[in-house]
Order: sequence, then structure tokens, then C-alpha cells
Amino acid sequence: MNAGPAAAGDLLQVAGLRKAYQGVTAVAGVSINVPEHSIVGIIGPNGSGKSTIIDCITGFQAADAGQVLLDGQELTGLAPWKIARAGLTRTFQTVRVYDQLTLMDNLLVAMQSFDSTHWLDALLRTRRLRREEGKARARALELIALTDLGRYTDMPVGILSYGQKKLVALASSLMSRPRLVVLDEPVAGVNPTRVREIEEAIRVLRDAGETFLVVEHNMEFIMNLCDHVVVVDQGLKLVEGLPAEVHADPRVLEAYLGVRA
Amino acid sequence: MKELAWVVLAIASLALLPLVASDYVIGAAITALTFTVAAACLNIVFGYAGLLSFAQLAFWGIGGYCTALIVVDAGGSFWLGLLAAAALCALLSLIVGWAALRLQRDSFVIVTLSFSLLAFMVARDWVDLTRGPMGLPGLPAPQLFGLSFGSIHAMYWLALGFVVLALGLLYTLATSRIGITLRAIKQNQPLALAHGIAPSPYLLLAFAVSAALTGMAGGVQVFYLKIVDPTMFDMYYAQAWLIMVIIGGAGSFWGVVAAGIVMSVLPEMLRFSNELRMVIYGVILVVVVLILPQGVAGWWRERGITRLRQSLSGDGP
Repeated sequence: MNAGPAAAGDLLQVAGLRKAYQGVTAVAGVSINVPEHSIVGIIGPNGSGKSTIIDCITGFQAADAGQVLLDGQELTGLAPWKIARAGLTRTFQTVRVYDQLTLMDNLLVAMQSFDSTHWLDALLRTRRLRREEGKARARALELIALTDLGRYTDMPVGILSYGQKKLVALASSLMSRPRLVVLDEPVAGVNPTRVREIEEAIRVLRDAGETFLVVEHNMEFIMNLCDHVVVVDQGLKLVEGLPAEVHADPRVLEAYLGVRA
Repeated sequence: MKELAWVVLAIASLALLPLVASDYVIGAAITALTFTVAAACLNIVFGYAGLLSFAQLAFWGIGGYCTALIVVDAGGSFWLGLLAAAALCALLSLIVGWAALRLQRDSFVIVTLSFSLLAFMVARDWVDLTRGPMGLPGLPAPQLFGLSFGSIHAMYWLALGFVVLALGLLYTLATSRIGITLRAIKQNQPLALAHGIAPSPYLLLAFAVSAALTGMAGGVQVFYLKIVDPTMFDMYYAQAWLIMVIIGGAGSFWGVVAAGIVMSVLPEMLRFSNELRMVIYGVILVVVVLILPQGVAGWWRERGITRLRQSLSGDGP
């Protein structure tokens, strides 16, 4: 785990990202690097441009300028589903799940663009489909065990609590074994017990080799979890470094509280 | 297995209907069958994929005209006509769908509605091809291996055979992972994108399959009526199918099939009072929609979820 300052050869390399909405600058040239097998956090006050940054990285917004590379592969300007297939998936701030589908189907759907089957396999239920679905099912059961949602496997996820849905969203973003997952406020609106559960699940996944870029307001969560923290303010990168360094930096306090420290 | 037993039982009893029913009832039953296919098709597009399509009406009419013209003008068989109708409707649906999906979902309604109105005008005004408002009367009975489907009984069995095949295909589609993916796209398109799913191919597939089968249903319908004319594009049909989907429960395969049969039979059963029959039909409709806004299947699903919640809160943390 080489969580540290930006270095060439990092898994995710975002350079000079810019985005303006009708002349109002939201992101004014931000560069972020994420080394493999690490957790990088982005924090910043409301309206600092965090959400826009990850929307641009994941293709949900088109950046005005800048470059996004995943393991050297150019992702800039691609459609969101192409970026997902290239190995970069995400979750959403307001939790998104398929409410009427069962937990198992929520996870299987997330995997299905990544196997070798076609529509005809799906309609004829061929051996190839069953083989691929067997693999996907095994992966789903792993993630269900990790998130401790086993008893809900065949129930529609609409019945779950908000925090549980956050876990489902996390699990589904991992189904396709992506290279990197962007988590948009994974614990916003979640009760403290569940926050620790989600934190633990992400840490276990990181130790198993996953890589995360996390946007979050919950300072404690970020400081506990991340290997490296980037603070953005007014569309610019303000400070970055180890959690403790960032925490101690007077500029961060100023950005959050608006006082001169 | 239980589902299969019900299906076999339903098909068997439907197949025996001509032995006990009058010609009038059999005629109404043929319409009920073709309407049920059209409603099940609309359910795939609207209930599963989330696209409110008014183009189903165009495919119904185009399918009817295409089948009839292949037989009358091109000298082809009824079966060739049906296949041509399926192919033509699928092709048109891909063109219209490709254009309409570039717009917002609300615009999809308007584009498909305009397409149906356009198809009606072509049927009425392109007299050289369609014979205009007079239509093509006296369509000959379909033939198969020397057998003629001239009697209304034979036509009924033909329609029943078509409906079983069509619903079988739609059911396979709906319960396959393609159907699950369509529901996923409808419920949360941004999430589907984040899962690497490109929505357009799935939506177009659903639209094309439903267009092809609706077109074939129209072909069967006109050879039962023995005439095709511009009234095939009557908005009444589109409205009837939409009512079936809403009452049955959009997104529920069997809910909509059941509603297709019931809502076709109901107006006939209300014939005891000819003056009031459409009024009673209307009142039943309004009451059902007021009590069950998600349709019968939606109500059933909600009930299941409530019970699940109760059982979970009993033993949960």
C-alpha cells in the first residue's frame, strides 16, 4: 500500500479537471491520483465541487477540460456505462438500488454486462448462461456475506432500511470486480452503528485488494478510513496528505469554518 | 410447476370453448385473444421498460394492412403475410424508437403518438396502396396444408395457437435476465449506467419484439374480421390496451394477461343493458383505478411487501 503523494503509475490519474455551469466555475483545475489498493478521500465544504469532480470522473457529467486515466487507459469523455465496463464503478449520494428487484437480482444485474453471454443465451438459457450466472451468483453470495445481508437474499431490497440499501449499493458496485470504485457519500444519512459497519466493510475490501475514491462529509469516517485525503474548496485542491496532516492544517479549518485560524 | 399447471389448464379450457359457445361468443373471444397479446406487448414496453408507447396502435394497423396486402396484392400466403408484418413492424419500431430514445422519456409519448396518427393518415390517403377509406374487404380464409381456416371455429383455434406462441415468447423475454435488466433500467437508469448497462439496445429490443408481435396480432385480427380499413387505427384500441396494462398492473406479466381477458369479456357481459353498458364499464374502471392505483398485481405485490416487513420487524434487530 503506497498511499502517499501523487506519483506516476498510480491506478487512477485525474489531471487538470475543469467544469463550469453556465459560466459559474464548479471545478477549476483539479488533479487527483489514486494508488492501487488504497483509499483516497475527498472532503470539502458544501458546494466545493466534490460531487462535480466524481461526476466528471465517472462520465455522468462531461468535463470542460482535463484528463482521466485508469491504469493508463483514457476514460475522458466516455459514456458512464463504458467507464463502468472499463473497470471504474460508482455509488450515489442519494442511495440508488433497484427497489423492486430482489437483493440477488440487484447484484446479478450489476454483473451481467461483464460476462461473455448474449441475448440469445439469455432467451434460450444456454449452458454458457448458466455457467456465467453460477459465477456471478458465487460472487454475489461473497458480497452478501461480507455485508451481512444474507437473510434478505431473495427479498425485494425496497424493504431494507436506508443504511442497508447503502450496503447493497456498495456490494453491487463491486460485483464486476472493478479496478476502482468511487463512493459518493457512502455514510450520509446513515445511523452511527451502520457507519461503523460500512467503514469496516470498505476496510476489509481494501485489504483484499480493492481501490476506493471516497467523497464524504463525515470527517471522522474519512480520517479513520483513508490512506490519503484531498481537501477541495471553491473548485480547487486546497491541501492533500495523510489524514493527520490534513486534520492539523489551519487552512482546512478556515475553509470549513470561514475563520482565520 | 404450479404456474405451468395453470397455463395448461387455461389453454385446454380455451381450446374447448368453441364446443360450447355460440359463434358470437367465439368472435368476441378471438378479439379478446388478439387484444391480450397487444396488451402484453404494451406491458413489455411500458410496464417493464418504462416507455409509454402509443405506437402499438400503428403496429397493430400496419400489421393488419401488411398481412392483407401480401395476400391480396402480392399473392402470398397468410403465413408469409404475418411474417412480413412482424418484420416490417420491427424495422419501423427500430427507426421510430432510435429517434424517440434520443429525446426525453416524456417526448417518447408524443413521438409514438404522432407515428400512430401518421400511420392512420397513410392508410386513409394513400389510396393506390391501401384503397383509402374503403379498405380491403373480403379477405380470403388462411390455408395450411390444404386445410382452410374458413369457419369461425378454425379461426379461433388459429388465434389461440398464435396467442400461446406469442405469450410464450413474451414470457420467456420477461423472465429472462433481459426482462430483469429492463426492469432495472426502468427503476433506476443512472444506476444501470453505473453497472455498465447501455440502456438503448435493451429498450430497442423490447420495443421491436412488442412491435413485431402486435403487428402479427393485427394480422390475425383482420383475417378474422375479413376486412382491413383505416378504423384499425382507432384510438379506442390503444386506450383499451393501456387500460388492461394499468388495471392488471404494469410490469406484472400474468396480471396484464388476466386483465386482457377480463377487460375484453366485461363489456360483452354487460350487454344485458345496452344503454348503460359503457357507463357501467366506465364506473368499474374508475372504481378499480381509485382503489388499486398500481393495478391488481401492484396491490398484490404491496400486500406481500407489507407482510414481509411485519414478519421482519417481529424477529429483526
